[in-house]
Amino acid sequence: MRRTVLSTLALASTAVLASTMPAFADGRSPSPVPSSPATVDATPSAAPSAVASAAPRPVPSTAPTRAATPGQVSRVPNGAPDTGVTSASTSSGDESAVIGGAAAALALAGGTVLVVRRRRANGA
Amino acid sequence: MTPLSRRAFATVVLAASLAGCAGHDTDRGAAAHPTATPPPSRLSARAATAAPLGRSVPVGLRIPAIGVDTPVMQLGLAADGTVQVPPITAHDRAGWYRYSPTPGQVGPSVILAHVTVGAYGDGVFRHLADLRRGDRIETRLENGRTAEFTVESVRTVAKAHFPADQVYGDVDRSELRLITCGGARTGDGYLDNVIVFAALSATSP
Repeated sequence: MRRTVLSTLALASTAVLASTMPAFADGRSPSPVPSSPATVDATPSAAPSAVASAAPRPVPSTAPTRAATPGQVSRVPNGAPDTGVTSASTSSGDESAVIGGAAAALALAGGTVLVVRRRRANGA
Repeated sequence: MTPLSRRAFATVVLAASLAGCAGHDTDRGAAAHPTATPPPSRLSARAATAAPLGRSVPVGLRIPAIGVDTPVMQLGLAADGTVQVPPITAHDRAGWYRYSPTPGQVGPSVILAHVTVGAYGDGVFRHLADLRRGDRIETRLENGRTAEFTVESVRTVAKAHFPADQVYGDVDRSELRLITCGGARTGDGYLDNVIVFAALSATSP
């Protein structure tokens, strides 16, 4: 009886521990989030009315801001560099030849086994 | 051990293992965002040991660890706004992106080369992904000086998620980026880019 009680107690305590761990993990992350959007939202509401009349256009992407600093990358390229050309035709040809060869070999082996079995069966 | 105590022990073990699983799930959920490898130095980290150099175009590149010793050409932008790449030839070479700082200047200097050059076989940067933290990279400059860099990290990233900010973004010291293709092949190209992040460690003479 005592053992049953003890084991139940142990089970309950581990369950409690298990449930508290994710609670800690959850507790950390959300804290920084709510504060920043509040401040971000405040500025755009004021800005557009002023900008619309005077300034020609808001600066578009992130690239031009970097150009301001001398010595750093002045023009940021689009996308990823294409720095690798595979020998597509030759390599794919080789691969298909290998695959075809393997398939043919398998078919041949299977056929041979069948023929041998039939012959043995007929012979016996 | 009596059957009762065995049962109790088994219950505790089962409960503990369940608790362990729950913990792992939480970790996985937190790591869902791409944190990946150590990020390249963005304004701070370790200070470079060598003083930055003045502007001088690179003319040669040597990477002893992977047997690279190549002349360096200049590259600009293609009509579609992508970076130009060196021509596909038998003896291809590396190219410095001319809108980036020259090696040794403060900022991220960018040098690109092919991993493979089609029917010609291996490109200059065929083994770029084999570089490891601490490997040396030497760039020979037009003015006769040499800027020596030390590899800090090597990353393989999907082209679809090319980290332009980390590659071309401002830094407060002299750094070098070596870029080529890598990963799985797709038709006549590759799915990924291999990027080496290095920092200036010495200059000579």
